[in-house]
Amino acid sequence: MNAKTVHFAAACALLTAATAIFSSAQAETSVKARVNGMVCAFCAQGIEKRLSKLPATQSVFVDLKQRVVAVEAKEGQTLDEKTITAEIVDAGYDVVKIETVAQSVADIRAQTKADAKAKK
Amino acid sequence: MTGFINARARRTGLLAQLATLLATLPAAFLAAFLAATPSHAGPMGFKDSSMAMGDFSPNWQEAWVNHAITPRDAFGAGVLGMRSDNGLLRRTFVEATYTRLAKRWNGEHSQANIWLLAGAGPVQGNDFAGTRTMLAPGISADFETTRVYLSATARLYRAPGINHDFASARAGFSFYETDYDETQPWFIVEARRMRGLSDKVEITPMLRLINKRYFIDAGLNNSNQARFNFMYIF
Repeated sequence: MNAKTVHFAAACALLTAATAIFSSAQAETSVKARVNGMVCAFCAQGIEKRLSKLPATQSVFVDLKQRVVAVEAKEGQTLDEKTITAEIVDAGYDVVKIETVAQSVADIRAQTKADAKAKK
Repeated sequence: MTGFINARARRTGLLAQLATLLATLPAAFLAAFLAATPSHAGPMGFKDSSMAMGDFSPNWQEAWVNHAITPRDAFGAGVLGMRSDNGLLRRTFVEATYTRLAKRWNGEHSQANIWLLAGAGPVQGNDFAGTRTMLAPGISADFETTRVYLSATARLYRAPGINHDFASARAGFSFYETDYDETQPWFIVEARRMRGLSDKVEITPMLRLINKRYFIDAGLNNSNQARFNFMYIF
């Protein structure tokens, strides 16, 4: 095997890895909401149950203390902020801020916990 | 003719009873607010959910189920067994219920609610024959944060010749904050009074456990009777 072939194979491998990383980053889209009124897990279960039933939902994260609700979309699917807001309102709570972020629910969970720790 | 007169008299009696209830509702509202304010979880779940509730002690045994058709309205059915302190007087009330979330305030780290309750159905007792129609309107209000809980409820239980009006107030605190997926323990004290069944105010300190799947209270009242409450959302 000559040097040219080795270089070509290495370049292909790098390109494939970069594409995979890029695709994976692109696939992780979540809707993150700041919600008022969440004081009790028993009551807030309605948010998780309603959002989990949406066809595009991959996973849901709820944090009572930081007032965060995050919903991750299934790969290749999108979540509508208006739909998420309506579901949270139907569960009995008020959405004060909502945004679509290029993060997974696991990332948002880690970030929320880190923020909470930093506040202490 | 006699049947017609009896039917008319019964209707007139029910109307008079309804008028009395409506006249006493403001007093019930006032009583609820003066008493303080119930329930960390309200008497209904979120839209399209069904909720089961139970409250069990030797003198008061109640079970309810309801279904929320909107975020603010739930219809259901319940059964309530009441017993006097001396154990001589017993009532069984089977009711169709309507629960309305009249007002909710969602704060950054708090929530407050006003609930309207309505129940109607037959009541049976061991001191009269047959059944009578009981009407049971009520109001409940609560305020809670992740650490503090206050609530009050007033409900009228009226039927011809029967008055078992009920009032309760609860206050409590959580021992510590928890994450959404963890079980949070609370200490709650409830004071309640049931007219025509007991001459004293029942005081019950309770341990409350709140989880995202269940909600239970367990305690011992000032007559050394066990008390157990639960709520579950399907």
